[in-house]
Amino acid sequence: MTSDSDQTIRERWVASPSPAGGGTTRAGDPASSVDEVDLTPVRTYWELVRMRFRRHRPAVISVFVLAILVIYAVIVPLTTGEGYKDPNIRKVWDPAEIVITFDPFTVEAFAPLGYDEIGQNVFVRLAKATQTSLVIGVAAVLIIAGIGSFIGAIAGFLGGRVDNLLMRLVDIVLSLPVLFIILMIVSFFGTGDVSVVIIAIGITGWTLAARLIRGEFLTLRETDFVMAARALGVHSRRIITRHMLPSALSPLIVASALGVADSVVAEAGLSFLGFGISPPEASLGNMLNNAQTYFIRAPILIVWPGLVLILIVLSVSFIGDGLRDALDPRQKIESGS
Amino acid sequence: MSGDPVGNDILLSVRDLRTAFDTMDGTVKAVDGVSFAIRRGETLGVVGESGCGKSVTALSILRLIERPGRIVGGSVDFGGRDLLAMSESEIRDVRGNRIAMIFQEPMTSLNPVYTCGRQIAETVQAHRSVSRAEAWEKAVEMLDLVGIPDAGRRAKQFPHQMSGGMRQRVMIAMALSTDPDLLIADEPTTALDVTIQAQIFELIARLREERRMAMLLITHDLGVIAEMADDVVVMYAGQVVEQGDVRSVMTDPHHPYTRGLLASIPRIGERRHRLEVIPGVVPNPLNLPAGCLFRRRCPYAMEICETPPHLTDLGGGRSSRCWLDAEGRAPEVTLPEAAHG
Repeated sequence: MTSDSDQTIRERWVASPSPAGGGTTRAGDPASSVDEVDLTPVRTYWELVRMRFRRHRPAVISVFVLAILVIYAVIVPLTTGEGYKDPNIRKVWDPAEIVITFDPFTVEAFAPLGYDEIGQNVFVRLAKATQTSLVIGVAAVLIIAGIGSFIGAIAGFLGGRVDNLLMRLVDIVLSLPVLFIILMIVSFFGTGDVSVVIIAIGITGWTLAARLIRGEFLTLRETDFVMAARALGVHSRRIITRHMLPSALSPLIVASALGVADSVVAEAGLSFLGFGISPPEASLGNMLNNAQTYFIRAPILIVWPGLVLILIVLSVSFIGDGLRDALDPRQKIESGS
Repeated sequence: MSGDPVGNDILLSVRDLRTAFDTMDGTVKAVDGVSFAIRRGETLGVVGESGCGKSVTALSILRLIERPGRIVGGSVDFGGRDLLAMSESEIRDVRGNRIAMIFQEPMTSLNPVYTCGRQIAETVQAHRSVSRAEAWEKAVEMLDLVGIPDAGRRAKQFPHQMSGGMRQRVMIAMALSTDPDLLIADEPTTALDVTIQAQIFELIARLREERRMAMLLITHDLGVIAEMADDVVVMYAGQVVEQGDVRSVMTDPHHPYTRGLLASIPRIGERRHRLEVIPGVVPNPLNLPAGCLFRRRCPYAMEICETPPHLTDLGGGRSSRCWLDAEGRAPEVTLPEAAHG
C-alpha cells in the first residue's frame, strides 16, 4: 500500500513535471538567470506539503468524506440537543420520513433514516454516535502518540540499558490481552464514561507508536546531522525535539492514523459488548449492538453505524498515508532537473 | 612526552589522549597516547591511513565519543581549561561556539527537514542571545560570506535542493557563524570532486586567514597538508609517529612510515612504472604486534624494533617514534624527493 502510493506519486511527477502551483519562480525569471544553473522554483515548505498531498487522490477524497462526517457529527447534535435520546412511541419502526415544515430540523420533521425500535430518530442518533466515536478516536490517539513518542524517543535516544528496560515494558504491555485490560479498567472506573474509555484505550495502545519512534530514533541517532548538531553545541533536549522528532514524523503519523482507526474500532467493540458507552447515550458500538437484536426485523439498522465506522477508519488511514508522504521534506517534488 | 612547540601562544594542547572502544572481541585502543598542541591562528594537519585514529582524536577533543567508545585518559587543555574535565553544559558551550567542527559528509550532515538558513540560525541562537530575526540575518550574511550566490533565497532552501559543494559551504558557514577560535575539519572534501575540493580549501584558507582562526585539519592527503598546514602530525595505529613543521617533515621525513606516505604520492613529470606503496596493511587493532607497530611493514625493521620505541625529540619542534632516530643514527637511504618546494 505504502510503496504503491509512493510509486504512483513519482510516476505522476515524471508524467507531468510542471505542477500548477501558485507563486513559483519560472525559468528565465530575471532574478535567477544571472550566473546560476539551478533554477529550482522556490516554494515554501507548506506549499510543497499541499502540493504533495493533493497528488494523493484517496487522501484528498478521504478529507472530504471525513469533513462531511465531522460536519454531520457537529451540526446535527448541536441543533437537536438531547433529541437523540428522545423515544417517540408513535414513531416506532417508522420508515424514512422528511416532512418539510417551517422548522425542518425538528426531530419529527427530519428523519431520512427512519426510527428505531423505541422511536428514536436514527439520523440524529447516528450523528451523536459519530461524534462520540470521533472524540474518542482523536483523544485516545493524542494519548497514544504522546506516550508512544515520549517512551520511544527516550529509548531510542539514550539506547543501552534504558532502551532495554523500556522495550521490555512495551513487550509486557503487548503481551497483555488488551481487550480484557480495557474491560477491567472500564468496569472498574465506570462503564459508560467517555473519558474512562479514552484513557483505557490510550494507555493500552501506545506500544506500536513507541516501537516505531524508537526504531526511527535509533537510526537517526547515528546520522551525521545529529552528530553535527551535537558538535555545534545543541542541547540534547533540543536535538530530540527539533532534529529527531520531525524526522520521525512519518512513522508517528502512520501510527496515529492507525491509532485513530484502532481506537474507534476498540470503542465500537467495547460498546458492542456493553462495556463502553451504554444507551441512552449514543455510540457506533451500542447502535450496532442494538441493531443486532433486531436484525431480522430491521437489518438496515446495522448498515448505518457500520457504514460510518468503515468510512471513519478508511478515511483516517488514507489521510495518514497522504500526510506521511506530504510532510516528508525529503520526498522530492521535482522530477530531477 | 614531546615538549610543547616553540611559541607560548598555545590554544589547544592535547596530552596523552587515550580513547578506547569496547568490542565483543576486546578493547580497541583507537587513540593511544596522542599529544600535540595548536597555537592561535595556526593550522595543524593530522595525516594517516584510514583507521589510524585521526577522526577519533578529533571527536575525543569535543567529547563526542559515544558508546561503546570511551575516553580513557589524558587531557585536552583549551584556553586554560581541561575539556575532558568539564561538565556537560560547559562542554556544550565550547562545542560550536569556541571550537567548531565540519564533517566529511556534507550530504548527510545537514538536517533534511530544516532549511539551511534555519540550521545556521539555530547554531547562532544556541550560543548568542540574539533574536530570531538577527540570527536569520547572520545566517544569510554567513552564506554570503562562504560564496553562495543569492544567499537570501538560498537560505530558505532545503539541503536536498543543493549540491554537495554548496552543502559543504553551508556547513562551513554554520561552523564559522559563532566566530570560533578553533575549527576542526575532518576530511572536509573527501566526498566532493576535485575541482570543488580546491574551491572549498581556498575558501577555508581565506576565512581562516581573515579571522585568525586556528585549525585542526584531518586528512589522508599529504598534498592538502602541504598546501594548508603549518605543522603536521603523522598518525599510525592510534599513535603519533612523527610530528613537526610541514616543510621539514615533507623535505626530510624521519619515520619510515612518513617516508612511505610521501613516496606513494604520484608526481607529474616523473617516469615510474609502478607507484610506490607501503606493503601490508594497518595492523588489526585487536591484535597489535609487540614492539613498534609499524615493524611488520617497515623496510628498516631491526631486532630492537621488538621493543616499543618512544617519541624522540629531534629538536626544532620535531619528533619521531623510531629507533633509528632514538639511536641517533639515521640510515643511509635514498630519501624520496621533496614533495613540497
